[in-house]
Amino acid sequence: MDTVVADRLQFAFTVMFHYLFPIGTMGLAPFVAWYTVKAARTGDADAAKSARFWTKIFAVNFAAGVVTGIPMEFQFGTNWAAFSARTGEVIGQPLAMEGLFAFFLESIFLGVLLYGHERVAPAFHALSAVMVCLGSWLSGYFIVVTDAWMQHPVGYAVAHDGTVTLTSLGAVLMNPFALWQYAHVLSGALVTGGFIVAGVGAFYLLSRRDEAFGRAFVRAGILTALVFSAVSVFPTGDRNGADVTAYQPVKLAAMEGLFESRHDAPLDIIGMPDLKHKKLMDPVAVPDLLSFLAYGNFRANVNGLSAYARELWPPVELTYYAYHIMVGLGTIFIAIAVLASLLLVTSRLFGAKPVLWLLMLAMPFPYIANEAGWVVSEVGRQPWIVYGLMRTSTGISTNVNAGETLFTLIGFAGMYFLLGFLFLFLTLREIGAGLDSHTPDTPAPSAPALVS
Amino acid sequence: MSNVAFALLAAMVVTYALLDGYDLGVGAILHLFSRSDTERSDATASIGPFWSGNEVWLIAAGGVLFAFFPRAYAALFSGFYLPFMVLLWLLIFRGIALELRGHLASRLWHDFWDWAFSLSSAALALILGVALGNLLHGLPLDAQGNFVGSFALLLNPYALGVGVFALVVLAQHGWCYLRMRLRDAPENANAFRGLWLLSIVLDLAVTAWTVATHPIAGPRLAIAGVLGFVALLALVAVGVMQRQRRTVAAFAASSAGIVSLLGAAVATLYPYLIPSSSGYPGLTIFEASPSSGALAGIVAIVAIGLIVVYSYQIAVTRRLLAHCSEQTLVQVKQSE
Repeated sequence: MDTVVADRLQFAFTVMFHYLFPIGTMGLAPFVAWYTVKAARTGDADAAKSARFWTKIFAVNFAAGVVTGIPMEFQFGTNWAAFSARTGEVIGQPLAMEGLFAFFLESIFLGVLLYGHERVAPAFHALSAVMVCLGSWLSGYFIVVTDAWMQHPVGYAVAHDGTVTLTSLGAVLMNPFALWQYAHVLSGALVTGGFIVAGVGAFYLLSRRDEAFGRAFVRAGILTALVFSAVSVFPTGDRNGADVTAYQPVKLAAMEGLFESRHDAPLDIIGMPDLKHKKLMDPVAVPDLLSFLAYGNFRANVNGLSAYARELWPPVELTYYAYHIMVGLGTIFIAIAVLASLLLVTSRLFGAKPVLWLLMLAMPFPYIANEAGWVVSEVGRQPWIVYGLMRTSTGISTNVNAGETLFTLIGFAGMYFLLGFLFLFLTLREIGAGLDSHTPDTPAPSAPALVS
Repeated sequence: MSNVAFALLAAMVVTYALLDGYDLGVGAILHLFSRSDTERSDATASIGPFWSGNEVWLIAAGGVLFAFFPRAYAALFSGFYLPFMVLLWLLIFRGIALELRGHLASRLWHDFWDWAFSLSSAALALILGVALGNLLHGLPLDAQGNFVGSFALLLNPYALGVGVFALVVLAQHGWCYLRMRLRDAPENANAFRGLWLLSIVLDLAVTAWTVATHPIAGPRLAIAGVLGFVALLALVAVGVMQRQRRTVAAFAASSAGIVSLLGAAVATLYPYLIPSSSGYPGLTIFEASPSSGALAGIVAIVAIGLIVVYSYQIAVTRRLLAHCSEQTLVQVKQSE
C-alpha cells in the first residue's frame, strides 16, 4: 500500500471515530447545563433527575471522546511529521491553546459535575456544568480554526527554506473561513443533541415509562432540532458554501458534480458522477439554481471541474456523495422537526405512535450527516493538505512506512471496536435504567472514607 | 525567549509528573495495596474526580511542545512511531478501565478493570521513565536530526534503570496519596517500606550512573548535583513522615522528591531537546523553535493560560476536598 494512502486512511478512520463523541458532547452539553442550572435555581426535583440522567450519558460520551482524542493530537507528529515541521509554527498554536484553554476547563469541571453533587454548593455545581459546556464548545472552535487554516491559510509568510512562519495569530484565530464553518459545525452538533434528547423521550413514551420525563425530553429535543436544523441550512450552511465558492471553486464543482462550466448551472438533487464520460448519470436537477445559490444570479457562470487541471481535482465521487448525503439528510431533519412541531402545538404528538417511532429511529442519522459534512470538507480539500500551499503527499513522515501505519491502523480498529461496543452498551444501559435509577455511575459511596 | 519557552514546557512536564504521577502510582500498586474489592473501589474513587484533569497536562504539554518546538515535536513523534502508538493505546485502555469500572456493581467486572487499570498504569510509568532515560542518554541521530537506531537500542540498561526508578518513585507517590486521602487505608507497612527502600537504592544508583556517564560540567553540574541531593533527602523524609503518620507531609516530601529529580534531569538535558549520541549534533531549543516574534506571542499566551489553569485547578480541588473532610468529621461524630 502507498504510504500516503495508509497515513490518510489512519487519520480518516481515527478522526471519524473520534468525532462521533464530540458531536455528542457539544450537542448534549447545553442540555446538561440547562437542567443543572434549573435544578440549582428552583430546587425542582424533576430537573435534578433530568440533570443527573443527562450528565451520566454525557460522561460516557466525554470519556470516549477524551481517549479517542489523544491519538489525534499525536498523529500530527507521528504520521505527518513533514507537515508539522513545516507549518507547526501556525498549526501548533491553536492546538496548544485548545489544550490550555478548553481541555482543562472541560475535564476539571467535569470532575466537579460528576463527583461534586453532594460535595459542593449547588450554585458551584451549576457553574461547573456551564463551564463544561463552554469548554467543549471552545475546544471545537480551536479545532475548526486549525482546520480552517488548512482550508484557507491566512496570517502567514513563507520563509526562504519553505518553512511557514506566523505573521498574525489574530488573523488565524479570526479566519473568515473559520467563523461560518464553526457555526455550521456547532449547529450540526446541536441538531444531533436535539434528536438524541427527543429520541430518548420518544423511547420512554413508547415504552410507557418515565412518561413525564419523556414528554419533557421530546419537547426540548424537537424545539432544539427545529431551530438548529434550520440554522444548519441558513445562514450557516449557506455562508459556509459561499466561502467554498469564493476560496475553493474546484471543491464546489466536485460537490455539485458539475463537470462543465455553465452560465445556467443547475442544482443537482440526485445523480451519479461518471468520471469516465465526465458527466452526471441520471440527474434530477433544478435548473439555474446553483448559479443563483453560488453567486446570487441565475445567469452567473459557475466553473466546472473541466476548468481545472485534472491533478487539482479532489476525489469527485466521495465529495459528491458525501455532500448529497449531508444535504439530503439535513432536508429530512427539517421535515421531521416541522412535522413533530406541528403535532406538538396541536397537542397530538404524544399519541402519534408512528411519529414517536420516527423520532426514536432518527437518532443515528444526524451523526451520519455530521460525518458526511466533514468528508466533504476534508476529502474535498485534496490534493492539498494546506489549500494552495502544501500537497498532502509532501506532508507525511518520511521515516514511517506504510506497513507500520497499516499495523497501527488495524490496532486502532480493534481498540475502537471494543470501545464502541462498551460505549453503546453503557449508554443503552443508562437509557434502559431510566430516570429513577441509582446505577453506580458516579462512585460517591467511598466519600465517607476520605479524609482531606 | 527559547529559554522561557523551555522553562514553561519543563514546568508543565513536572506538573504532569506530580499529578498524573500519583494516579499512575495508585494504579501500579493497586493490588499490592489491597486485596479487597471495597478497598480498591475506595482507591479508584479517590482519584476519580481528578485523573482526567491530571492527564490533560500530558496532552497540553504535547500541544505546547508542538507550538514551541515544532521540529522537535515532528522528529520525536515520527522517530518513535511504534513506542508512541503503544503509549497511546495504553492511555486509551487505562482511561476506559477507570471510566467503566464503576458502571456495574459486579465483582467480576471490577476485577477485570482493576487489572487492566493496574497493568496499564504500571506499563505507562515504566515507558515514560524509559523515554526520559533515553533522552538523558542521548539518541543516535542522522544529519537531519532523525532517529536512526533500532528499538532494541531504546531498551538499553541505563534507560531501563531510569524506567524502573520512575515506576518505583511513582508507585510510592501513589501510595502516599492513598494514605493521605483514605482514612481506612490498609496498613501493609512492610510492602510500603520495601518500596521506599528500593526507591532510595535506585536513586543512588541512577544518580551515580548519570554522573559517571554524562560529561556535564559547570553550573549545570552543580544544579543537577544539588537537586539530586535534595531528591535523596526528600525520599528519606517520605519514610520518616510515614513512620510518624504525618501523611500530608509525606505526600509533600514525595512531591518535592519528584520535582527535584525532574529538575536534575532538566539541568542535565539543557539546552538540548534531543541530545545526540552519534557524531551529528542534537536538536537544541534554539534551532527547534519558530521565529522569535511568533514564539514570544505564544509564550505569553501559554504563560497566561498556565496561571489561569493553576488557579482554577487548585481552587476546584480545594472545594472538592474541603467537603470530604467535613463529611468525614460528621461521620466520625455520628459513630461516636
